[in-house]
Amino acid sequence: MTKIEILGTGCAKCKRLFANAEQAVKDLKITAEVVRVDDIGEIVGRGIMLPPALFINGEVRAEGRIPDVNEIKKMLTE
Amino acid sequence: MTEKNPCSCGANEQKRIIFPCAGQANVGQLTNLAAVKLTEEGYGNIACASLLAIGTETLIANALNADEVVALDGCPTQCMKKIAGAQGIAVGQHLVMTDLGITKGPSKSYTEEDIEKIVAACWKGEGRKKDTAKPGKKSGGKDCGCSGTC
Repeated sequence: MTKIEILGTGCAKCKRLFANAEQAVKDLKITAEVVRVDDIGEIVGRGIMLPPALFINGEVRAEGRIPDVNEIKKMLTE
Repeated sequence: MTEKNPCSCGANEQKRIIFPCAGQANVGQLTNLAAVKLTEEGYGNIACASLLAIGTETLIANALNADEVVALDGCPTQCMKKIAGAQGIAVGQHLVMTDLGITKGPSKSYTEEDIEKIVAACWKGEGRKKDTAKPGKKSGGKDCGCSGTC
């Protein structure tokens, strides 16, 4: 199952990114786990200096910006 | 009104200019409120439709230099998109409030849910034609525009 992680400390942008990821999963009708990672130690430990970040199956796909729904859908279907 | 974005998140975000049509009807006024909230959340910067309509050169230059211009129109008349077009500015994302299910008039009232609907649609890119978005940066590092500080 695809795992999507949103790394961020919970500000408005992190919430928007989480919502976009959820919408992309819904639009594609795929089974995926979308989770928040808000522990600053883990965020920094994974090399993220500019939150929020989007990880798909453990790989960083966006950092410091919010991809829109279509862009996340493309990432998920690559 | 939302609180100002309290963090420095989103440093790789595109430079956007948001033009609300600012019409007199509820849907026009909603474009203003949504543009303010989008600015506070760090999506882009609100700019004045009237200033653009009179052909202010500095604003036109700013819009042409932006990564994306966002036009928020209240109704299908699409004044904001037409004003941008008249000044030679291409709109990257265009949202029409009535297309989002918000009824135009006769009441001037609105709800927080109306504003949230518009702001969420903008972040989701619902007003962007497929494949017209500029390619995003995958991560920080040399291409993030930070001059090597990240």
